Amino acid sequence: MDDTARELRVIGIEECLSEAMTIPGALDAILVDHTSGMAVAAEGVPYPEGSAAGLSEAFRATLDGLALSTPDGTIRIEDVIITTDRAYHLIKPMETMFDGPLLICLRLDPDRANLALALRRLQAISHRLIAS
Amino acid sequence: MATATLDSMLAGLAQDRATGSLKIGRAGTIFLTRGRVSYAECTGTPGVEELLTASGRISVGAVRKARQTATGESGPQSGGDLLVDAGVLTRGELEFCVLGATLDASYFLLGPALAAAADAGGARPAPKPRFRDGERHWLGTHWFFDVPGLFQECRRRKAQLDRAWPSSELDTRPVIPVRRIPGRHVVLTALQWEVLLGADTTATPAELAHRLGRPAYSTLLAVRELGAAGLLATGADHADQATPARPALPKRAERSGPRAELRPGPGADPAQPYLPQVSADPTDVKLLIRLRDALEALQ
Repeated sequence: MDDTARELRVIGIEECLSEAMTIPGALDAILVDHTSGMAVAAEGVPYPEGSAAGLSEAFRATLDGLALSTPDGTIRIEDVIITTDRAYHLIKPMETMFDGPLLICLRLDPDRANLALALRRLQAISHRLIAS
Repeated sequence: MATATLDSMLAGLAQDRATGSLKIGRAGTIFLTRGRVSYAECTGTPGVEELLTASGRISVGAVRKARQTATGESGPQSGGDLLVDAGVLTRGELEFCVLGATLDASYFLLGPALAAAADAGGARPAPKPRFRDGERHWLGTHWFFDVPGLFQECRRRKAQLDRAWPSSELDTRPVIPVRRIPGRHVVLTALQWEVLLGADTTATPAELAHRLGRPAYSTLLAVRELGAAGLLATGADHADQATPARPALPKRAERSGPRAELRPGPGADPAQPYLPQVSADPTDVKLLIRLRDALEALQ
């Protein structure tokens, strides 16, 4: 399959995670249902339930904090990028049509990862998983 | 087989790697595929059809057509595959929709079983589940939960509800937003906004979920969060209205009518000691005016 066809094909949850893991520098990936804080699926995450709850909380805190600091009070997050001394953390919300959002969370090795490339790839993957 | 409870029956079916449907009285049905739960529906929660059509992305007709084609003998394809092939939703959306609807229904179907187990033999009359071997849901199989994992998730959700607001008093009564918020501003999630907008003072959380096309659990969680934030009328408010909380005020002359420049200020409400409460009650306004008049007379 050539690259164009791959860019257009819709994917499922499992495939979304395995594709995220092919992003250069990816350490682990997890898909989280933000409303319930549940781990939907994970790859390379030792304790998915704890990670899902923590990432969900981090995203909620970011939303609440930014909503208060934004002039118009509404907020729509495209990506959350957190750099720590050991890793890059990317959290990308995907709006679903019935509940949600669904968060795709990726942890990257800062020595091997290219943040801009990772963001672009994550964006492409999210559009193929959720069309809206 | 009088002791066959829902959880023991599900555990048995999981062990036998059974495929079929388990009907739990009128409450709903759990579908299993080779011993794992692949779908669940509950009368109290919106199903996949409702979730899909409420979003506006898919018409009722398209869902009905996929259902008829899938349940007919003609096609080997499942209803879910038909919808994905028709391009109305992606594979990921279908999986997430099935997963969400299944968890939502399971929470309400398995909840009583979990509560009974916690009671340690608290005998509560539950309908005897009936298993139909080989029966499948028209959507097909798109996501799996193993049975212990599903019970675990239901327990986690129960704990999450209790963390948001530890009382179940708001769960089944009509959602009534307070007329004025107990503070100066408020941050809402998208679903909390929809709940407040949909609340017509008669609809319960479950009815709102159906109306909004949102999962019943998510709606319940939003209601409890709103309750915790003091944005919904609670039993305490109703009780206040029933008992004479306000001491009867002595009658006073007519001249102390409301004045345009006077705004109702924060009053001391013993039910809510932390946050100033705003009242537009004319009795309160009159009292304030009389207080002001008295203070002015002292000068």
